[in-house]
Amino acid sequence: MDPALKRRLASRFGERLTAPIHQRHDETEIRIGPGDVPDVCRTLHDEPEFAFLVLADLAGVDTGTTMQVVYHLWSETSSDWLRIVADGLTRDDPRVPSVTFLWKGAEWMEREAYDMFGITFEGNRDLRRIYMPPDYQSFPLRKDFFLPDDAARSPGAGVRHMEQVHVPRAGRPATTIRKAPA
Amino acid sequence: MTSAPPRGQQEVPSDDPRVQLDEALGVFEPVPPYPPRTEREAEFYTLGDGEMFINMGPQHPSTHGVLRIVLKIDGENVVDLDPVLGYLHRGVEKLCENADYHHSIAYLDPLEYISSLFCEWPGVMAFEKLLDVTPPPRAEYLRVLSSELNRILSHSMFIGWMALDLGGLTPILYGLIERDEIAEMLAALTGQRLLFNYFRIGGVNGDLNHEFLSRLGDWMSRATTQIDANLGLLNENEIFVRRMRGLGTMDQATALRMCMTGPNIRATGIPLDFRRAHPYSVFPELDFDIPTRDEGDCLARYLVRVDEIKQSLRIIDQCLNQMPDGPIMAKLPRLLRPRPGRAYAAVEGPRGQYAAYVISDGTDQPFRMRIHDPSFVHLQAVGTLMPGHLIADAMAVMASLDPIMGGVDK
Amino acid sequence: MKKSRAGGSGTGPDDAAAISSAAPGNAASALAIRDAAVASPIVVSNTLWQSSDPNAYLGGLEPEVTHLREVEASGIARRDDARWSGALEVIPTKADYVLDLIRANSLWPLLSGLACCAMEMMSSATSRNDMDRWGMFPFRASPRQADVLIVAGTLTTKMAGPLVRLWEQMPEPKWCVAMGDCTCSGGRYKRSYATVEGIDRVMPVDVYVPGCPPRPEGLIYGMMKLQQIVKDRRGHWPDRAVGPTVPEDV
Repeated sequence: MDPALKRRLASRFGERLTAPIHQRHDETEIRIGPGDVPDVCRTLHDEPEFAFLVLADLAGVDTGTTMQVVYHLWSETSSDWLRIVADGLTRDDPRVPSVTFLWKGAEWMEREAYDMFGITFEGNRDLRRIYMPPDYQSFPLRKDFFLPDDAARSPGAGVRHMEQVHVPRAGRPATTIRKAPA
Repeated sequence: MTSAPPRGQQEVPSDDPRVQLDEALGVFEPVPPYPPRTEREAEFYTLGDGEMFINMGPQHPSTHGVLRIVLKIDGENVVDLDPVLGYLHRGVEKLCENADYHHSIAYLDPLEYISSLFCEWPGVMAFEKLLDVTPPPRAEYLRVLSSELNRILSHSMFIGWMALDLGGLTPILYGLIERDEIAEMLAALTGQRLLFNYFRIGGVNGDLNHEFLSRLGDWMSRATTQIDANLGLLNENEIFVRRMRGLGTMDQATALRMCMTGPNIRATGIPLDFRRAHPYSVFPELDFDIPTRDEGDCLARYLVRVDEIKQSLRIIDQCLNQMPDGPIMAKLPRLLRPRPGRAYAAVEGPRGQYAAYVISDGTDQPFRMRIHDPSFVHLQAVGTLMPGHLIADAMAVMASLDPIMGGVDK
Repeated sequence: MKKSRAGGSGTGPDDAAAISSAAPGNAASALAIRDAAVASPIVVSNTLWQSSDPNAYLGGLEPEVTHLREVEASGIARRDDARWSGALEVIPTKADYVLDLIRANSLWPLLSGLACCAMEMMSSATSRNDMDRWGMFPFRASPRQADVLIVAGTLTTKMAGPLVRLWEQMPEPKWCVAMGDCTCSGGRYKRSYATVEGIDRVMPVDVYVPGCPPRPEGLIYGMMKLQQIVKDRRGHWPDRAVGPTVPEDV
């Protein structure tokens, strides 16, 4: 919980943030639109008052209605992790500019987000599938990918009845609680 | 080679004898892939004069698991390379989304199977943040104790593999002696030799017992001399040192750009250790140094890990002396429903930063379980470091980055 | 219908995560499946992965034989010279016995550790649990020189092709040991989209060594069982399975 960081972020990026800065435990979260990602990241990386030189993680998220790309940064100037959520990517054609110009190590993390979600990172020179075979059709971590579907197209897989029955997590809880009769 | 146009950009007719030969030999994926999908692929799969492709396929004695590297070589020099991953992709993140919070911990273990406790730890920490649960101090000390033992195990294996990839077949046996002893110790504590499944949300699974403590005491009394003796095989070995010195040098700017963490970045001089930089658990109360080197070459990465073993021994000593009494698990409801929200937790493991980013939606299953693994990020550096070296040295460079394919592929 | 405490949740107002169906008092989330009736299972035969793009991989040229199951059905493999046939099937000779003894005591494994079980395989091959006592120390890197394929670790769909190719490249007599739960039945990754549930879906297995991972002593027990199998196989070689040992609709 670093209030100084919150003040600095609010004063520097005030108008670009699409949601109030959220702090909990040792994390500070800011939300921006996807187009702002290169500028915000470059500012955070280059300016000495921020100096977020370490990109800790780059993740894609499918919230069911939108897609997001989440960056976690670390700096010596703050005791918090900084989480940047690039929110508002559409689910049918999610695009976000790439941060590989700042951190070349983000290349594979973006490839993974592309492979798992279908998020296109504009500016990534090597955006192809990294985990699944190169001609795989679906994006496995999306919320509309249910485990049985593409298992059917993979080699050596016979899909069993049990897998087809699986209802995704929006259905019912995984464990049933037996209650004593009232 | 005839003056054929670059293979990446031409039509390949099926009556071409090279194609028919490839087919007769049963090449799994012909190189170059046709057509190239990205800019980088087109650049890579264009052969210059005198260059050729060599495929280090998924089964190869020198890769740390199933990794396929397509090398573009000019004689014995590596000009460029293209790692192909995914041969161990098991869909862990998707499986965690469909499992309870408790079950997810079991999926996290086999990611980096050498350092399983470090894979479990950030997941468990993130769950605890979402549940606003603090493990009792004894549990924290047990976590640190077992994980530092795991760190020594991992580094012992690293030393063995480092030498194995350079061609030395003996040090791996010594590394495995260490590993076996620590594995038996941890089996006495956790019940498992390899995929420990020891951490729980709110604490750990088992307390210290007589067998573990007797094995641990036994081992620690001779650990320093034994490790020094094992290392004496290598540290003073002229072939080893001369081969590794000056190889695969990475400077600080490159290391930060490639998102290195752990011993790889400490070998370049940046003292980034998340146990000190972003303290978690009981590390603020423990006294240890962060070994750093300046050269940034393979030898520096190796020596940083060797020094870390000694620091881990110090930490284990302090844990045993300072271990408080008390419960080893916090009180939790049977059915866990964390608050909706997001949590990120990171720990410093033997390879670097292990992290987990968990999004909870209030149900008993995680909505999104993102696992960040250091080996995945570090393996990108082979593309920067390997070109320009001989093939044999290229393998040494990759070994010094210490990737584990279970973590790379998730 | 928003939850009353959606304000401080940190997930944003529009997330499906904030509108959760399982928590009490909420409307159905955006992902609710209306029709939860059980669909009929999709049964897919065991085939190697094929690219769906007709122009990829040399215009989609088909190799002659795509799967070991077809190899077995067509009987091509039965013509192999390493297989005794005719009268020798029925009458095991002393030469047979000696050959099997030789083979059993120098089974050379192929270095094919895929995942965590590879660690335990390495551990069982080195000083503390020494497989060299049974002659199994040299882990050959080339399949041409190996006798046993100890598949140690999860088999993913992407790796299934290379592994079957390794198996096909090994000259007979050869045996396969499925080490670890993932290779026996899929293990903890049984419901995953990217794993093969047990290697007996793609190749014939002789010994299953369960465990996650099996202790080195367990693997050694499995290898000793394999030695027994090798010795007992006198005269029964032509009947040995060539293709997957699991029925197609499982």
